[in-house]
Amino acid sequence: MKKSTLTAFLMLLLGIKVNAQAPSIFNDSTKLLKEVKVTANAKKKIETDMKMAVTVDEFLATADNISFIKRGAYAWEPLLNNMSTERTTVTIDGMHVFGACTDKMDPITSYVESNNLSAVDVTSGQGGNMHGATIGGSIDMTRRSTPFGLDKKWNGSYQTGFEFNNSQFFNLGNVAYSTDKLVADGSIAFRKAGNYYDGYSNKVKHSQFQKFNSSLGLAYKTSPLSSVRLDAIFDRADNVGFPALPMDLWLSRALITSATYKQLFKDGWLRALDTKIYFNALEHYMDDTKRSENLVHMDMPGWSTTYGMLAKANFIRGDISSEVQLNLYDNRSIAEMTMYPQDRSKKTMFAYSWPWVTTRYGGLSINNSWDFSARSSLLFGGALGLNYNRSKYVEFNWIFHPGAPQQKTRLLPSLHASYQLKLNQFDFSVGTGYGHRAPSVSEAYGYYIYNSFDRYDYIGNPNLKNEISYEANASAGFKNEKFGIKAKVNVFSIQNYIIGRVLSLGSPMNYQSVGVKGYTSLSHAQLFNFSLNANYNILENLGWKGTLTYARATDEKGGNLPFIRPLSYQSSLSYRYRDFKFQTSVNGDLEQKNYSPEYGEDATPAYTVLNLSADYSFKLKNVSAVLQVAAENLLNQYYSTYADWGNIPRMGRNIYTSLKFKF
Amino acid sequence: MKPIAICAAIFCLALSACTKKKADYQAEIAKVVPEYIEFKEATSIESGAYRISIEALNGKFYKGYNELRIKVSDKQSKQEVKVSAVTFLPIITKADGTKASGPHRYQPNYLASEHYFSGYAVFTDESGANGEWDLYLSFDVASTSYRVQKRVQVEKQANKNLNMVSFKAKDGADYIIALVSPQKPKVAENALVAGIYRYNPPLDAPSGEFPDPGQFSYAEVGGYTLQLDPRMPEPSMGNHSSLNNKDLVQKDDGFYHGVVNYTMTGNWTLNLIMLNQQGQILKGTVVPTDFTPGVEGVKSELYIDILF
Repeated sequence: MKKSTLTAFLMLLLGIKVNAQAPSIFNDSTKLLKEVKVTANAKKKIETDMKMAVTVDEFLATADNISFIKRGAYAWEPLLNNMSTERTTVTIDGMHVFGACTDKMDPITSYVESNNLSAVDVTSGQGGNMHGATIGGSIDMTRRSTPFGLDKKWNGSYQTGFEFNNSQFFNLGNVAYSTDKLVADGSIAFRKAGNYYDGYSNKVKHSQFQKFNSSLGLAYKTSPLSSVRLDAIFDRADNVGFPALPMDLWLSRALITSATYKQLFKDGWLRALDTKIYFNALEHYMDDTKRSENLVHMDMPGWSTTYGMLAKANFIRGDISSEVQLNLYDNRSIAEMTMYPQDRSKKTMFAYSWPWVTTRYGGLSINNSWDFSARSSLLFGGALGLNYNRSKYVEFNWIFHPGAPQQKTRLLPSLHASYQLKLNQFDFSVGTGYGHRAPSVSEAYGYYIYNSFDRYDYIGNPNLKNEISYEANASAGFKNEKFGIKAKVNVFSIQNYIIGRVLSLGSPMNYQSVGVKGYTSLSHAQLFNFSLNANYNILENLGWKGTLTYARATDEKGGNLPFIRPLSYQSSLSYRYRDFKFQTSVNGDLEQKNYSPEYGEDATPAYTVLNLSADYSFKLKNVSAVLQVAAENLLNQYYSTYADWGNIPRMGRNIYTSLKFKF
Repeated sequence: MKPIAICAAIFCLALSACTKKKADYQAEIAKVVPEYIEFKEATSIESGAYRISIEALNGKFYKGYNELRIKVSDKQSKQEVKVSAVTFLPIITKADGTKASGPHRYQPNYLASEHYFSGYAVFTDESGANGEWDLYLSFDVASTSYRVQKRVQVEKQANKNLNMVSFKAKDGADYIIALVSPQKPKVAENALVAGIYRYNPPLDAPSGEFPDPGQFSYAEVGGYTLQLDPRMPEPSMGNHSSLNNKDLVQKDDGFYHGVVNYTMTGNWTLNLIMLNQQGQILKGTVVPTDFTPGVEGVKSELYIDILF
């Protein structure tokens, strides 16, 4: 029995996953917990095939439905299904964290580090409604947690490395202590990078960064079937350059904390309860004093504080397994704009770009999986959320929208269903979804938020309607021992699509801007995403993998929407020989033809990047180690992608090395 | 547990570092823009058995527009005294001995319900090197006339939102435009109130001992229009403007009312064009509307700077 509860706890602490893509299936044939099988989607280790010591951004970039808007070498903004963070939910262990920067210089992914995460769950479309209302889907980053009662009490790992292109030096350390009753783990990460060089070997100024990240976790087993866990992540970034923006980051800090209580049940319908309360506080201070081109300086500090709770219950009854989650949170976003005239003794000019905006959300999500035959299953679910906004200094919003209400409550429903069929080596799925989302703080209450991509100042509109998405998706795949191929397609038809449109009224405020845009709703917009994945094991130790993605998005008049990835490809070969592993990969985009001049885009030429890597695994006494030497962009190609802010060039040839110890 | 304890220690250390404070927006606005809503006695004059008290906002006279309340009471009983034919005339004696006045209400009107005479004065300068102000008042109590004179201190108006401008217009007349309201503008739509006054040059030679009001006459002009284009003049603001502003037109109270929107706190210039009843431009020029970062905003020939 002891062994069985231990197994259960292993499962518990790994986090039992039930989601629309891959529901957990509890084998109910016996009452013994050792029989509990969790066939959740395999957790991806936080490293890519190519690179052992990746950043969170680099890791996410390997998912075929994620792309990035890049403003420099740091803090890339993830796009899921070619939709930005307003249309997706990005969470850490289900916790909502909202960036404190009006210019999206701090996506949530920038506040974690690869060595304090164990997995990232990406769910496309309405299937991702578990953590709140979404259109494009959800990205949930799972914090690393050590299981109770490991054979070895102490575990640790240490990784260090150097990247030659931007002189990035990094150190990542993890340590964990595990007994039957108590678990403690901690991680520390430090990265420091200088300016990087592009494919013409020119220095890209203001692309340096420095980051410190630390996390702590403490878990205590309160009974054989329950545990409490306290978690904290602290992240600090200093002196981060944003070459594509007219300002840099002086300092950003985040404290992300939570307390979790988990309870498992041996019998009955209810199998697991997971309750979490959380608090996080982010602060983000921009700095434009290092840019000599700025005749005027502007302080733009931002703060974001969130309190929340979530409660999750897993049920099983016959062929149906269900997951119910309650999400509650309260966020306050504040951003200030203070300009200093050349004569500093003169009065400064002040405005709020986020006038103390409160967002409260409460919602209940349910997802079910019904395995009605051995070959087919139905996934279906829904969510209902209540979203409340209040702007404290609503006078700023009244400038452009006189009489707009100070408070607004919105109802956000969501529904989805998909049918999955397995026929021998083939699998198929078709699905559909419907959902609403509320405008983001910037879209509804933003005030003169400067967007350096199209060089417009953006004004929020508190009266915007909910964005409504109708979605359809399908997939087909074939898999045998040597070969696998899978095609996925999804289409989103979005009503009241929120986007910035030029306002003839009003004049710009920010130094570099050319005009004012107001967030408005297009009557509708369409997005289409397609991906094709294939792998082929040529020999036992030689494998090939390839990915092809394509997306297209248009507005109501058939014009192109911005930040849509052109046809892109990736192909890689890996070869193992004894303790060595060699990899080579080619990736690139074709020419971006469907660009949107209206939103500041221009045509981006095609590019191809070649990468190489070699790993050597060895043992020193009882410490296992891996040494990697590799090169990215081996041919030193000069390129920038469709989503590079201001067409800043990407990094040229980058040779890097890293060494990892596990003990 | 030692490595974990070290982790915890680093964690605590990192947390205790300091950061920037949030702006205290409400306090900030209150500090820069003092708002006076209370009338207090600014000066008093005694004549015979009577005491004349002149009240102004904050108990002080400031350069620019001043709303005034004049009360006459019995020195002993401190009771209000029934007086009639009250006149009020402020005069500045400049360093070279010349005398002038500013727009004022020569015959303050009695508000029975409020028990005071309501008047105003636009002091065109503060007291000091430029000259000294004297107030000349006269009133009748039961067919006896009283005349008093008092030197008063006119202070600098620290609140730029109550600025004034004096100028010669194309019709050859001297005008004064004084801002009356808002004292404390907000980042919002603000009701803008101003008075427009024209100097009436004297027709006859001065007469009498007491200053001759005919020499110091101003008229509240009627039926004019003030076209408004508010802009932020700082080079850094690149000629930034706002929207939904409304030109000032005269209402029943004699003042000119319009709407100004301020998009942020800071220095603003109210660029004005003054039109007469026929719509002819008497003063002011159209300002460029281009966004010109780094260049100080071009101002109209007629403007008033404000700050909040």
